[in-house]
Amino acid sequence: MNQTIYLIGLNHRTADVSIREQLALPDCNPCLQGLVRPDGPIREALILSTCNRVEFLVVGDPQKDPVQEVLHFWGSTCSVDAQTISKHAYTYQGLEAIHHLFTVASSLDSMILGEPQILGQLKQAYRKAVEYGSARVIVSRALHKAFSVAKRVRTETAIASNAVSISYAAVELAKRIFGDLAPQRAMLVGAGEMAELAATHLLGAGIQGITVANRTLCRGEELADKFGGKAIAFEELVDHLPEVDIIISSTGSQHAVIRARDVKKVLKKRKHRPMFFIDIAVPRDIDPDVNGLDNVYLYDIDDLKEVVEENLAERKEEAGKAELIVKEEVDSFALWLKSLALKPTIVDLLERGEAIAEKEIKKTLKSLGPEVSPAVHEALQVLAHSLIGKLYCEPIAYLKRRSKEEDTLTKCIHDTRRMFNLDNEQVPQDAHKDRKTRTCPHKTANERFWPHK
Amino acid sequence: MTFFRLFEFLVAFLYFAGALVFLVGLVTHKTSFTKVSIWTTATSFGLHTIDLLVTWLHSGGLGADQGPFYFSLLAWCFLVIFFAFWWRLRMKFLALIASPLALIVFTSSLAISPSTQPVPQTFVGLWFGLHIGALFVSIALLAMAFGSGVTYLYLEKKIKTKARFKGFSRDLPSLHTCDRVNHVSVVAGFPLYTVGILSGFIWAAFTWKHMFSWDPKEVVSLLIWLIFAYVFHQRLAIGWNGRKPAKAAIWLFLLVIASMLFINFFVPTHHQFQM
Repeated sequence: MNQTIYLIGLNHRTADVSIREQLALPDCNPCLQGLVRPDGPIREALILSTCNRVEFLVVGDPQKDPVQEVLHFWGSTCSVDAQTISKHAYTYQGLEAIHHLFTVASSLDSMILGEPQILGQLKQAYRKAVEYGSARVIVSRALHKAFSVAKRVRTETAIASNAVSISYAAVELAKRIFGDLAPQRAMLVGAGEMAELAATHLLGAGIQGITVANRTLCRGEELADKFGGKAIAFEELVDHLPEVDIIISSTGSQHAVIRARDVKKVLKKRKHRPMFFIDIAVPRDIDPDVNGLDNVYLYDIDDLKEVVEENLAERKEEAGKAELIVKEEVDSFALWLKSLALKPTIVDLLERGEAIAEKEIKKTLKSLGPEVSPAVHEALQVLAHSLIGKLYCEPIAYLKRRSKEEDTLTKCIHDTRRMFNLDNEQVPQDAHKDRKTRTCPHKTANERFWPHK
Repeated sequence: MTFFRLFEFLVAFLYFAGALVFLVGLVTHKTSFTKVSIWTTATSFGLHTIDLLVTWLHSGGLGADQGPFYFSLLAWCFLVIFFAFWWRLRMKFLALIASPLALIVFTSSLAISPSTQPVPQTFVGLWFGLHIGALFVSIALLAMAFGSGVTYLYLEKKIKTKARFKGFSRDLPSLHTCDRVNHVSVVAGFPLYTVGILSGFIWAAFTWKHMFSWDPKEVVSLLIWLIFAYVFHQRLAIGWNGRKPAKAAIWLFLLVIASMLFINFFVPTHHQFQM
């Protein structure tokens, strides 16, 4: 096989944003624009272009210098000279390229370790490449494998399990306390930027509604409109506390806005239903003694920062585990690449046939009972093995004829391997599904069983 | 009966395997283990049901060999309630308490030798069935409240002290979920417990012509009923939730189990299980 995989690209570590902007290729069709052409060195290509990276995954003939071809194409498309590109770009070849691809897909190479967006972007890039016809056997296989590696990394390590932004960390804690956020209401005290962000995340998590209490009422109303909530006067803040479960405070006040004795009275009124206070103001708005009350939880900005830092540290720890998974999968991909040659496929096919023959002979002998003469045994052997031989004779001849045509051979071998399932693969049912929407089947069951108090 | 014994050991072994696999699943965060564990427990539960039915038919009525049969029935009740919670509220984590408890109670039922006393015919009465059934279901509900109570206290401490969530604590349910298990257990468990005790007294009145005989078991049960009533009242009328009812449920369950193990075996009482 005279084909090698290359990965050429740059990312946030090798090039700053001004360079990345110049070299982005948001909508590029490698077939139309001449990167992949019948007589050229490159047979397959996929282009991933996001705000943090631009990468080419290509399969080409090593004798015709596909890397130069890519750099030339990239430079001429973006009108940047090739020297600038090669200063910032990295090139990987063969299994290193695959390793890098898996690392990117698993979000181990992202600016924020474990962020989930990159996988979606990669899927998008692959979809386009399939549409353009520039992704064929090898790129398709590499990408499918990359998606399954990413899935494995997400499920087997905790790399994406904890929030790494302050407002997300607050939402996660709220979920730990209240479970489902649908019946909960939140209150914004003051209107800081971070509080707004947290409110947006809470709405995203399905919270019921938002109340805004701000010193300047018109600003409060503006915010309330934005979130589809209601605005109240700042002086009435404590009177409205019994109706809300999550309080996000970020005023510029120099002394406490919410005191522990107020909260005590509020708790009685709300029949001690839990409350969660998030204090992101400096100096703090909420009396720290509030945390000492039963069923009340208070986190201030330092606590949240600590949570985020710990989560980041944990992601780094988990990255080590993820790296092992990536290595393992690269090895299995290497095996597949090797099997794309003609000879191993024919061997595999015949071995599979022999195994089937032997199994069936055993079964038949069993059903014939213990009194089988050696002659019958012999005849059975001959029959089974010659059947298998005759069955596989034509496909093998067909494959051998194709070996003159390199382009179709790879595809034929790949199809044969899949048709006879020589790699013993199990195709997951949701292999092509994006797992963006997660349904929550238990909610209805919950409500059926015990209506909300 | 030797084959039968083997069958019972198989049930015990499957319970053990189920509990163990569930733990492994928690530690390794693999949902496939949880699935396997629930199926294992369900299989063993099915065999257990057959075992109970056979014992019951074999003896021609309730209470034939008292101790073992009741212990086995209690273990069975734990699982019925667990499956109900799992099915309606999707609370798999209760398997953590249900299958080990069922295992302990069931294996102790194997360890008790059946009494050879013939049981009075009155045992077959409706009141007696109600007495046993209602009490066992309410004890099983308490067991779930115990499990979720321990989880609640552990989680709450973590949130209050701002500790980090590592390892299996990440997969634990929310505080609200744990509290709802407690709510359901108290609201459904207390009336059942009341029915169980009352039917016991009525049965006693029919059988021995007096309702209350200062039997130690009866006294302790009344004490438990009083605590249970208090928790029930606080939960529904005052709106107790969270830590207090969680603690109360833990104590109630421990009291029930202690009275069961201690009184039924070592104190002279007409609730005695023969050793």
